[in-house]
Amino acid sequence: MKALWLPESIGGNSLAILFVLVFLAQSFLCFHLDAWVHPQPFKNSQPHEAVVDKKVTSTLRAVAFLTGYKVLIGHLFWIQVIQYYGDSDNAADRFSKLYDYCSLASDLNPCFLPIYTYGAAALAFHLHRIDQAERLLQKGILSNPKEQSLQILLASILYEHSQQYEKLIPFLEAQIDQGDAPTVLIHILANTFQKLGRYQDAIALWKKRMRESTSDSQRIEAANYLQQLYRLQKQKP
Amino acid sequence: MRKILTVAGFTFRELVRSRMLYVWLISILALCGLASLLSMLSFGDSLKIFLDLGLVGMEMGGIIVLLLSLAVTYNTEMDQKAIFLQLAKPVTRSEYLLGRVLGFFMVVGLVVAGMGLAVAAFAFLFGGTVPAIFWSSAVFLILEMFLLCCLGLTYQMMGTSMVGSFLYTIFTIFLGHLIGEVEWLLSQDISSWIKTLLRIVEFFLPNLEAFNLKDRLYDPTLVLGWVQWRDIFIYALGYSFVVFLIGWINLEKREFK
Repeated sequence: MKALWLPESIGGNSLAILFVLVFLAQSFLCFHLDAWVHPQPFKNSQPHEAVVDKKVTSTLRAVAFLTGYKVLIGHLFWIQVIQYYGDSDNAADRFSKLYDYCSLASDLNPCFLPIYTYGAAALAFHLHRIDQAERLLQKGILSNPKEQSLQILLASILYEHSQQYEKLIPFLEAQIDQGDAPTVLIHILANTFQKLGRYQDAIALWKKRMRESTSDSQRIEAANYLQQLYRLQKQKP
Repeated sequence: MRKILTVAGFTFRELVRSRMLYVWLISILALCGLASLLSMLSFGDSLKIFLDLGLVGMEMGGIIVLLLSLAVTYNTEMDQKAIFLQLAKPVTRSEYLLGRVLGFFMVVGLVVAGMGLAVAAFAFLFGGTVPAIFWSSAVFLILEMFLLCCLGLTYQMMGTSMVGSFLYTIFTIFLGHLIGEVEWLLSQDISSWIKTLLRIVEFFLPNLEAFNLKDRLYDPTLVLGWVQWRDIFIYALGYSFVVFLIGWINLEKREFK
């Protein structure tokens, strides 16, 4: 690379002064821009950013931050998390790394809600690791303070865990009646009814789902659950 | 001005004839295909995933076209001495360089804007909607590409080989995205001389994370108002101007034999 000198032919000192002024201005702006534009987790001034769990190391995360393709790598990592959870070989240790992986995926893509909803639902309802589900949802709520679905899911998990069904059921019913409730809430409510032996309520819920849903896959899912519930109801002494 | 536009038009035609726009078409097909595949494989909102990956594709497509354009033009201009013909005409070196920057920007901007329209069209086709922030993000990407065009051509003027200018550009792109890491390191408890060194690095590197709205498409804490638009325009143009000056000075000093 050639040495950089100011040539006489293009203005000499005045150009040098202009150069320094513009450089200082852009440097000032560089810092000014940092105040609003830098993404998580490097600015911890905001409360939601202080939650980022850095104890988990990952080459993928490092690559994401170095290349600036956080969301792309975040989505790829999320697919890996799904594959990890879907692989029955990992059931031997009860999917011990699920929380860490969900946490990493949410570091890279903190506004992608399925990481929190599916991750927390799996941790709480399947693996019964309530503290990890709570931590993941708190992280999601702090990153997405306006997303009610995360708050609802957190409340549901805590009620379920403390077996306060008299509080859980009306709470979930109210949320589902508002419309546009996440599927996971309907599952939680239906399973709670089933657990308490209230098959009629569970059947009514899935029937309502079948009637109101616009998605074929959701209607098929509701029909499958209805079949199971009718079978269970018949077997009931 | 007419001379600058003539050089810009010539550069645009030269790059289009070098089949640069094929990269665009391949990028659209490959990246839209990849985005659709990933959105199908993943759990969750497939439209969000598609738009996120579409924006990544726009940036990648723009950078690939820029790097290939730099390689192609270094070969013709410097190695095959085509620059002699242009500088022999009544065109100053500054006019030549500015025309080159504009020509590059026209091609790269066309690629990024075209991919943006393609991604939006796909999203509409599949019954989705495109949030307003997507278009803001696309404009930020175009501004980033302008800065990178200036930077790449400056390296071309400073470098002594095609490989050199190619590598300087690609590493500056990586380092520009590293500003976030530098900021994080500065907030840590490290020795003062390292902090001073990092401050200097931060001053010199282009803050490419400032243009990175694509990672914050659904960030509820994002504030994007008049002040941010003003700052990002001034930053992009200011940094590009400084980089252009460095390139211009080097071109003036360069002896073609």
